[in-house]
Amino acid sequence: MTTETSPTVEAPAPLAPEAPIEPAVDSPRRRFWRRMLRNPLAVFSMLWFLVLLVAWVAPDLIATHDPFKQDVTLQRLFETPSADHWLGTDQFGRDHYSRVIYGAGFAFRSILIAMSIAVGVGVPIGLFSGWKGGRFDRAVMWVNDVLFSLPIVLLAMAVIIVLTPSLTNAMIGVGIAMSTRFVRLTRAVTLAEKEELYVDAARITGISTPRILGRYIVPNLLPSLVIQAAIISGAIILIGATLSFLGIGANLDDPDWGVMLNRSQSIFRQEGVWQIVPAGMALVLTVLSFNLLGDAIRDALGRDASNNALTVTKRVSVAAAQTEHSPDALLSIRDMDVEFPGQAGQISEILNGVSLDLRAGETLGVVGESGSGKSMTMLSALGLTPAPGRMTRGSVRFDGRDVTNLSEAEWAKIRGKEIGVIFQEPIAVLNPAIKVGAQIAEPLRIHMGMSKADARERAAELLAEVRVPDPVRRLDQYPHEFSGGMAQRVGIAMALACEPKLLIADEPSTALDVTVQGQILDLISEVQERRQMGVILITHDLGVIAEAADRVLVMYGGQVVETASAHDVFLHPRHPYSHALLETMPQNHDGGGDLPVIDGMVPSATAWPSGCRFAPRCGFATDACVSAIPPLERVDNDLVRCVRHSEITFGQPVADQPVGGTA
Amino acid sequence: MSDKPFFSVDDLHVHFAGRSRLFRPTPPPVKAVNGISFSIEPHRTFGLVGESGSGKSTVARAILQLVDIQSGTITLDGEDVTKVSSGDELTFRSRVQAVLQDPFSSLNQVHQTRTIVGDAITRHFGINAGADRDEEVMTLLDEVGLSREFLDRYPYEMSGGQRQRISIARALAVKPELIIADEATSALDVSIQSQVINVLKRVQADTGVAYLFIAHDLEVVKHMSDEVGVMYLGYLVEKGDAEKIYNGPTHPYTEMLIASIPMPNPVVQAERRSLRQSFDNDAEPPSPASLPPGCPFENRCPVTMDICREEMPAPTIGHHGGEVRCHLHTSGPELGGESVVQFIESTARRSSTV
Ligand SMILES: Nc1ncnc2c1ncn2[C@@H]1O[C@H](COP(=O)(O)OP(=O)(O)OP(=O)(O)O)[C@@H](O)[C@H]1O
Ligand code: SF4
Ligand code: SF4
Ligand SMILES: [Mg+2]
Repeated sequence: MTTETSPTVEAPAPLAPEAPIEPAVDSPRRRFWRRMLRNPLAVFSMLWFLVLLVAWVAPDLIATHDPFKQDVTLQRLFETPSADHWLGTDQFGRDHYSRVIYGAGFAFRSILIAMSIAVGVGVPIGLFSGWKGGRFDRAVMWVNDVLFSLPIVLLAMAVIIVLTPSLTNAMIGVGIAMSTRFVRLTRAVTLAEKEELYVDAARITGISTPRILGRYIVPNLLPSLVIQAAIISGAIILIGATLSFLGIGANLDDPDWGVMLNRSQSIFRQEGVWQIVPAGMALVLTVLSFNLLGDAIRDALGRDASNNALTVTKRVSVAAAQTEHSPDALLSIRDMDVEFPGQAGQISEILNGVSLDLRAGETLGVVGESGSGKSMTMLSALGLTPAPGRMTRGSVRFDGRDVTNLSEAEWAKIRGKEIGVIFQEPIAVLNPAIKVGAQIAEPLRIHMGMSKADARERAAELLAEVRVPDPVRRLDQYPHEFSGGMAQRVGIAMALACEPKLLIADEPSTALDVTVQGQILDLISEVQERRQMGVILITHDLGVIAEAADRVLVMYGGQVVETASAHDVFLHPRHPYSHALLETMPQNHDGGGDLPVIDGMVPSATAWPSGCRFAPRCGFATDACVSAIPPLERVDNDLVRCVRHSEITFGQPVADQPVGGTA
Repeated sequence: MSDKPFFSVDDLHVHFAGRSRLFRPTPPPVKAVNGISFSIEPHRTFGLVGESGSGKSTVARAILQLVDIQSGTITLDGEDVTKVSSGDELTFRSRVQAVLQDPFSSLNQVHQTRTIVGDAITRHFGINAGADRDEEVMTLLDEVGLSREFLDRYPYEMSGGQRQRISIARALAVKPELIIADEATSALDVSIQSQVINVLKRVQADTGVAYLFIAHDLEVVKHMSDEVGVMYLGYLVEKGDAEKIYNGPTHPYTEMLIASIPMPNPVVQAERRSLRQSFDNDAEPPSPASLPPGCPFENRCPVTMDICREEMPAPTIGHHGGEVRCHLHTSGPELGGESVVQFIESTARRSSTV
């Protein structure tokens, strides 16, 4: 970092786009409907239901004939479609089209009866059972499982036998059978939600149990309930039709789709296939629509896959950096911009003009509040910009090579071999189903071509190197048998396996206890000294940086605002943000009274303030600060992005310096 | 009445039963909390620190009656609240409130602030939704430093710090006398954390509410608290005046905790690092399901003695006037006027020169 060629980056061009970048805060409801309407299958099924709805509520409006009116002249039986009878006629000369229309009413009535019983019985039982838990819950679930395993038609028949055969009674039976599905679903959701903090919070507030169930659990249950209901509705119609088809559902004269199929199947051999088409189509379309709708709702409610998937976007024409790379750096980034497409074709700029240098054997601390772009900088430098984001400008050199435009295959040879990465949640990176030894051995076998036995031996050595007691025995244990600190040691062992030249540690100790954190930091610096690696240590904890870093990079709002030696950043910060961050730490504040704060909050990437991004929270802001993004200027060996840096001097942080405040 | 503490926890034990399985022996219970006692007065804050799994949250949940206790008493104004009937529960709930860790999951995503905070008001004061209740909510928003536009916000429309202030507003809605804050600021960025801490302190100055402030960050706890308790594996190993304990800990574990806090100053931290390293021995704490018979810190302690492996030390008075559970103060070698820190350092020095 301290080289002669360190850049003085000019304010980069994209000053104007103060456009929403990330999808702006959007209410879940709006997002849901937007997604539904974008899905052609969802639109199709919703349109079909609209037709059915009209057919149910006002059949005479769209029916062309009386569905019961027979052709007494016997002239027009078994007709195929014509101008008068759009879908032909049946064996009594009744109009198929009108009968299908009236059939919608039967279908919906079936659903209504069965569904109100299924939901009305199933949801309360599920809620109560899940909430109560324990022995009661086990008993309820046992009964439920028995009922669940019985064929639905059988249950429906049982009810018909006890009562009298009718569609309504059949549907009561179906409803009871279907309620078992809702018991299961509701109970599972209740069990999960019961553990949520907000339920604890509600109990603490003194909210009564029925109210918690009704107002807190049910709303969270609703989405899965709707999806389940849609899919089950399809099943109910089919079962209703089956029962009618078997002659134990609707009356034989009724325009019920199942009955229509029943009547036509006995005759379609003589009178042609057409007889089964109208009712059959209506049935198939409706069942299909229910399933499509269920799937569409699930998709529309689901999270953006792009939020958590680490899929890599293909790089498209990365604009070149404007400044030279430092020749002796192990890793050197210049002028990196990373953008994400937002709503309505707008672009959100997550990183802007990020440059850094790291030399072998050096530790660079990267610090900044959440959302400042620390992790994104590292991911993008490693060719791992999460989709749909992409790097649009800049260049990256690693170990003398230009790696800006490497293909995924080329990267795969570098990542995990020459560059090791440690993550925040060690347990999350380890596969719970595979023994720890095998997981450490894997990169050794892939990258170093070691035999199974050699890799195992090396894995044991690595565990010993990261000071895991009893390494050989530990090789055969599963990740859950490791405490957080021990799991992080395994994570470090894996990162070190192939003797990387560069180690990137993203919040390696944040999830650990403070006593364990010290051990992990010691371990990293010990290994670094032994192997002369370059280390990039990302953390929001300034104390960790103070201990471990040689140089520090302070980030704010997707930009580098200061880089300097650790000594300078902590004892003579140049940027008001670096200073303010230090001031807010309770360690720097003795005695009582208010802690210094930085007013306001970290801006979101959808709305960067114009000019200096820290201006709205900076106590030194002037008009000059907001007119343009301040350039990253070079001062001695350091870089600072503040138009007033030469006027302001901060000494050792003390409480009486002005901090924050609105401009 | 006046000599009785306002709020006190006495000899609290909480065990979680092992889950029994068919044809397998029932595993031993997890002893999450083992004989904890402390008290809090109005206007005062008691801080609880310790590493993850040390039982801090379980203490909070026991007080809030979210878990069943094994034994012990919890009294509020001299009344045992572990035996409140469901009829009196509402009274208890209106006196003891909580602010929980994760500001995202402790608010119900489907409701606006108006309802989240308003529901508590309806429940305790019978004011139904409407202009009056909204007015009350807005007063509370003022108190936690949020503008009135937050009335219509959903949790997902707020930042972490703002959500946490809504949690505080909700707790304040019932005008509680004790608020339990379990890692209430841990999920927040430093700059936002200080904002929330300031709000909590201001509220205390205004209303006289007592806090049980739980966090793993000793610096934050020290800033917030009058008294602190240090937990290790379900035991309260040290308890006393916050400032005094911080400056002169008497338990080796407390000393280890303090030595482990990294200071944001490279020069200072370089020295602290070597102090911290004098404690390191890479041993892991035992599982709370199989605690050793002696001191639970025995395998990580730099000055373990034979008696430490056999007997759990009883609470004694430390030189800071508080309590400490460590054999060094009863049956150990002569401290000879040295503080525990000096003693440990000199022991460490002795053993490293051997
Ligand atoms: N419902 C439960 N069933 C079984 N064991 C539990 C349960 N809840 C907590 N424990 C155990 O009790 C012990 C204390 O847990 P607790 O959550 O109180 O720790 P903590 O100090 O709050 O930790 P953290 O800082 O991670 O929140 C731990 O060993 C934990 O695994
Ligand atoms: S002084 Fe101006 S340029 Fe510097 S940080 Fe403050 S607002 Fe930004
Ligand atoms: S009792 Fe013994 S082992 Fe436990 S902390 Fe004290 S000296 Fe260490
Ligand atoms: Mg906890």
